[in-house]
Amino acid sequence: MAKSITFIVTKDCQLACKYCYLVGKNTKERMSWEVAKEAIDYILEREQEFNEESVIWDFIGGEPFLEIELIDKICDYLKMEMYRRGHHWFDSYRFSFSTNGINYHTEKVQRFIEKNHNHLSVGITIDGTKRKHDLNRVWKKQDPPPTSPCKGREKLPIDGKHRADTIYSPPSQGGAGGESERGSYDDVVRNIPLWLEQFPGAATKVTISSPDIPYIKESVLHLYSLGIKEVNINCVFEDVWHEGDDKAFEQQLTELADEIIDNDLFRDHACSFYSEHIGKPMDREKDNQNWCGAGKMLAIDATGNFYPCTRFAAYSLRSKPAWIIGNIHDGIDQNKLRPFLTLDRTTQSKPECIDCEVASGCAWCQGENYDAADTHTVFQRSTVICRMHKARVRANNYYWNKLFRKLELEGRREEYEKQKSKVKETTC
Amino acid sequence: MEIRKIVGQVTPAERDEIQKLFERKNGLTELAKIVTADNDELYEKLIKDMGETGTKFQQWWDAKAQQYGWESHPKGNWEINFQTCEITLVAKDAW
Amino acid sequence: MLTYLIILLDDTSASYCHYETSQKERRLIGLDDLKAGIMFAMKENLNIQFVYPGYELPAEYLEVIDSVDHTDIKPSGHSDGADVVVLNGWDDEVPEGTTCVIHSSRQELAEHLPVLTSWLGRVARLNIVLTDVETFTDTAIASYKQTLEAIADGVVEKYKAGKAVQLNLLTDRLMLTAMNNCGAGDTTVTLAPDGRFYLCPAFYYEDERQNVGDLTSGLDIKNPQLLRLDHAPICRVCDAYNCRRCIWMNRRLTQDANTPSHQQCVVAHLERNASRYLQMKLSDAGIQLNGSRLIEEMEELDPFNIVNRWK
Repeated sequence: MAKSITFIVTKDCQLACKYCYLVGKNTKERMSWEVAKEAIDYILEREQEFNEESVIWDFIGGEPFLEIELIDKICDYLKMEMYRRGHHWFDSYRFSFSTNGINYHTEKVQRFIEKNHNHLSVGITIDGTKRKHDLNRVWKKQDPPPTSPCKGREKLPIDGKHRADTIYSPPSQGGAGGESERGSYDDVVRNIPLWLEQFPGAATKVTISSPDIPYIKESVLHLYSLGIKEVNINCVFEDVWHEGDDKAFEQQLTELADEIIDNDLFRDHACSFYSEHIGKPMDREKDNQNWCGAGKMLAIDATGNFYPCTRFAAYSLRSKPAWIIGNIHDGIDQNKLRPFLTLDRTTQSKPECIDCEVASGCAWCQGENYDAADTHTVFQRSTVICRMHKARVRANNYYWNKLFRKLELEGRREEYEKQKSKVKETTC
Repeated sequence: MEIRKIVGQVTPAERDEIQKLFERKNGLTELAKIVTADNDELYEKLIKDMGETGTKFQQWWDAKAQQYGWESHPKGNWEINFQTCEITLVAKDAW
Repeated sequence: MLTYLIILLDDTSASYCHYETSQKERRLIGLDDLKAGIMFAMKENLNIQFVYPGYELPAEYLEVIDSVDHTDIKPSGHSDGADVVVLNGWDDEVPEGTTCVIHSSRQELAEHLPVLTSWLGRVARLNIVLTDVETFTDTAIASYKQTLEAIADGVVEKYKAGKAVQLNLLTDRLMLTAMNNCGAGDTTVTLAPDGRFYLCPAFYYEDERQNVGDLTSGLDIKNPQLLRLDHAPICRVCDAYNCRRCIWMNRRLTQDANTPSHQQCVVAHLERNASRYLQMKLSDAGIQLNGSRLIEEMEELDPFNIVNRWK
């Protein structure tokens, strides 16, 4: 089991994605080295308390790579300290990043990747086709940049790792009185080949909200065509859905299923929408675990406050106060973690959810539950995603019925079952 | 021409042994990029550790190869799939 | 199901539980609100408990109060006719044959055992409200256990002398076969001097925005299921039936109303175990209490650990 520890290194981002749950992004709150160091010392000093077998040191923003120098310093310190202390995590750790990909090619980021390659998990978020991606993932509106010879078009050096034609362009400015939005697709997609070269088998994370639905099928197929074989795609948990969204969603997933199966893409591509385990009823006792890991992970913000998950920090919340569980000076208040550690499925769910015939795979985010709850509690599950889940279940059923029938007719079912476990190989 | 052929399988416990050594070896290699000779004590500990870990790593492969009698190739090496515990013989320019 | 309505007659009404009112200034409930509250209780079939301040109420208030069957909770010194008297401290005079409430820290309790023992011979029932549960640390476990057992020894002597004793910390658990908790928001609700409803007085005194409705628009308790035992993962597997399950303290210490703090659980279990000690001592003395059920031995002081182990 791995402990996930997240450093909220910055609340700044080049983008202003429309579906972003981080309502409080700003340029001012950046983690200092001193705070990071104190947090690391606090955690590593308590090896008995933090006794999980492995650790994932996770870096989040805003956009984490905006703070690559700080991250580099943090990671160097983590490696040194885990080793110096003889900490068991030295033999089992990862540095994890979810990035918008815009700065991926820069020298500092590349140097960092080269230095830590064997311990890195880097996900770039590319939302699909250009038109889908640029619907939501737009550049932040900002003041015109200062005059500088380095601004404008910047060509990267040719070497074994960088492509000469990878050109970074700063966002175009809106005209006086006009505020045009510029999508970030072009700035991200140019880094995908480099990313896949460095992390073969890497997955991307795609988010769906209401306006994206018509582009789901083309987007997943487009991502496959870029060489991304694993697409983790999910609907946002916030209440953004309109009448008819579920039908359109189901249609898109059904058509995508046809494409994946008819073109044999299922052999070496994965899409998280389709799973054999979703859409089944769940036992009240045997299937009573909480969905989300909030409370078992730890997040640290720029001021040194601890949270059960980043989603409980103030900048992630619309309508509730932050749920702070301690800080780097006073430590963790275990009482404030108790609600999380006793969460289960049935206590927080309505009766219709507990007894739902297609309950499995219906997800939730504990932070969104808290933010949307009628009272100050984590025990009220938000169900705005219900119809979308049921639509997904129907399309998912179609997918597996079609796929298994095809494999049986072709005599390939057994071979398929054997191949399933090898999709994500890690070798030495 | 590359050969890739499954030649055997170890137990989960054996897989855990080599995986731990693999992780440690990687960790030491990456640590070596940032520890300099200025930091005497740590540097010496690191060098010694790298040697010992490398040795244990090789010893595991030697021992298992002998125990299981895996097929080999003069231009090849074995890989382990940590998910399935399978051992694959990989030989480049095999013909 | 709602059974009780607590009506705070004034902001300076005596505190009979964990919350503080000593910093408040006088603010008498409006007469119309008082009447409307009584009407609400009668229509909802609720038992009313009036909580009085330390001064004489106007005659018209007393007349309205007397128009309905009720229970009076009054501060010591102004306790004529009270059903429950809230004492001013360990130096106070204890009226004979009454139910009394005293606020005390653990240290003060340990220092006043002889006083406590003498009171047990006079009062019909004594409720001790510990004021420093929040600061309870695991290093205090041994000393609180010792204090409780010393009290239990005193209770045994009373029984030997033919006196029945009711002390919330020790004797309640002897008779309980299920949770007997405060029930704030579930079986009981509070009407405050501002004319609004609250889960209990503590929420009113903490922040008036925490109201759950008013006399005009009615009661509006959100997530009522989270105030019930069946939606409290730690409490529903616990047999410290004596625990009050104070949801206000839950909110203060864990931030969720259905989750008790480590301190609350440990204190409740020490009291539960002391009840078992008392039960054994009474049995050794040949005293059997009608309806008393055997309390099992238990070393675990925090049921959170049991819930976690199952996971």
